[in-house]
Amino acid sequence: MTTLEIPHVGRFDVQVWEQGSGEPLLYLHGYERHPGGAGFLRRLAESRRVLAPEQPGYGRSTGVESFTDVLDVALFYRELVESWGIDRIDVVGHSLGGMFAAELAAIAPQLVRRLVLVNAFGLWLDSQPAPDPFGAADEVKAAKWHGEAPTSEPTNFEPDPDDPHAAILFSAQNLGSATKFMWPIADRGLRRRLPLIDAPTLVVHGTSDGLLPPAYAEEFVRLIPDARLAPIEAAGHYPMVEREDEFVAAVTDFLEG
Amino acid sequence: MKFHWFAEATYPALPTTYPQRHPSGSVDVPAALVDPHRAGELYRMFIRLMQQADRLGWDGLAVNEHHQTTFAMTPSPNLLAAGLASTTENAALLVIGNSLALYNPPVRVAEELAYLDCLSGGRLIAGFVFGTPMDTAFAYGVPPAELRERFHEARELITRAWTEPEPFAFNGRYNRLRYVNVLPRPVQAPPPIWVPGTGSVETWDLVLDEGYCYGYLSFFGLANARPIVRGFWDRVERRGLEPNPHRMAFTQLVCVADTDAEAERLYGDAVRYFFTRQRAPLHYANPPGYTSRASQREVLERAKGVSTEDRLRATRGELSFWEYDELGFIVAGTPERVRQRLHELAVELRVGQLITCMHMGDLAEDVAAMNNELFGTRVAPFLRELWAEYDDPWTPPVSRQRVAAAAPGIPVDAFPSPRGGDA
Repeated sequence: MTTLEIPHVGRFDVQVWEQGSGEPLLYLHGYERHPGGAGFLRRLAESRRVLAPEQPGYGRSTGVESFTDVLDVALFYRELVESWGIDRIDVVGHSLGGMFAAELAAIAPQLVRRLVLVNAFGLWLDSQPAPDPFGAADEVKAAKWHGEAPTSEPTNFEPDPDDPHAAILFSAQNLGSATKFMWPIADRGLRRRLPLIDAPTLVVHGTSDGLLPPAYAEEFVRLIPDARLAPIEAAGHYPMVEREDEFVAAVTDFLEG
Repeated sequence: MKFHWFAEATYPALPTTYPQRHPSGSVDVPAALVDPHRAGELYRMFIRLMQQADRLGWDGLAVNEHHQTTFAMTPSPNLLAAGLASTTENAALLVIGNSLALYNPPVRVAEELAYLDCLSGGRLIAGFVFGTPMDTAFAYGVPPAELRERFHEARELITRAWTEPEPFAFNGRYNRLRYVNVLPRPVQAPPPIWVPGTGSVETWDLVLDEGYCYGYLSFFGLANARPIVRGFWDRVERRGLEPNPHRMAFTQLVCVADTDAEAERLYGDAVRYFFTRQRAPLHYANPPGYTSRASQREVLERAKGVSTEDRLRATRGELSFWEYDELGFIVAGTPERVRQRLHELAVELRVGQLITCMHMGDLAEDVAAMNNELFGTRVAPFLRELWAEYDDPWTPPVSRQRVAAAAPGIPVDAFPSPRGGDA
């Protein structure tokens, strides 16, 4: 547990999954949950130091009530990275974490070396209205995956034998925190800030993502000055799970290139 | 005990396929199902019924706020209350309530409610509500994670706007106003405030901290309410406060007729219509973040007063009229039976403010008017004295005095004279 006090903002107790050594990589998880020590994270950690904090308001990480808006989140991650004594870092952000990663890269360009956005939220296209990521559970589940949904999705949830409701409460709390930045439409003005990003950017996108059609990835590429698209076929909202090899290769090649 | 007249303004002409073809009764209901002329007739009918209730001695006329739904087509309760303020004499105007987080800026609520209090000569009860998930998160797009904070900020702003003598600046998180100076101020300084809840501990503490009246506004009757209401009174006791029954409001559907058989004949279809047209799919009814973690745990762990199966049967229309009655979802029958059952309910739940739902579903106006007449003359007079030993600071003094002077008394033929034999 890392504790971070940001003057006039608040106090945050944050769970950080950390593994590996070498060049640092900040991984920001998606809107549903932290993936725990998922396969793709462990593989990225084979060649680098991966730091994957759990977003405040998720699981056991606290402090979401101190966020007024998404600027606070970007400043929080800037302070968090600096608190580790790191002054330049690669950032991979998935889903809602992609929105935060892009904000961080726009607000603190000196800090972000290379940026990877994976099926990122943060934009809205009137021409292709994205479905509601908080919609009916069966519809969201069907939209998220290219193929059959896996029997268990990567998670940092730890069942509590004494608490039969722990899983329901965990999920409700995580998604409830996500609503701060994604409800009713996952647009908090990022479009206006994407042109400020200096970092070379890879926009990874599982092309079967029913929550975010590929046009959204193309829009990120159009708005970020130095960005290119890395579509991953036969994958939905979680390309790192459905196509782990391709995902790890694409990210590693880009970060090392 | 006080009686407050209420009805959900449910659209009456929905097709019988409505619950099947349109799984939700709100948010994305096809607008073509609602004829605006028919809606106008509906509004005029409710105004007539509430004017009648005022003449028959109800202590309050309750109006509520819902959006994008055929179940209760009252997007602005203040508009309805304004019509009543100028056409009724005695009853309180129980605006329960304004969904505070939806007004921007919330001084709009302070202004409109003050206007109503002025227009009615001090008969306003101000209800502050969170609003259903469908109203707030869906129809008005408020992030559930912000709803509570927005509600409390608005509540503070509104109560200050009513009570501070000088203009003030308000620098909140969601509202920034350099000059807050609501004109006119309400006649009552401030009006009594009611907050409905669904059994969350936070809301109990809020109403007890602030001296508000708590409303448990469910349509599922005594058995369903029992564990929640008990929890509330436990909380009152633990905090060393007076267990004044007037702190608690409760809703009950009521169907009075001359005989029990007549009640079934007159109200059966409307009751079924009412319960089968209020469905909402889970993702509309319970979006993430709407309920705090602590309250969610409470709900999950609290014993259910009515089984989920019985609720589902009710909303599928699978209960007979008298099963609805046995489960307490309605209180039906002769005036004597209704009187007795409401007395039991009020004593067991310690309810001092009974919100009587006198019209439901697609009930015809003449039946609702008869319901009013029978209740007002042959039920309410017998129950009015219940809890009379307790003060009631949660209803406006003006309406208390006027209703006490005007309400029908116990009919002279109700009891045989106690000395009948000697007469």
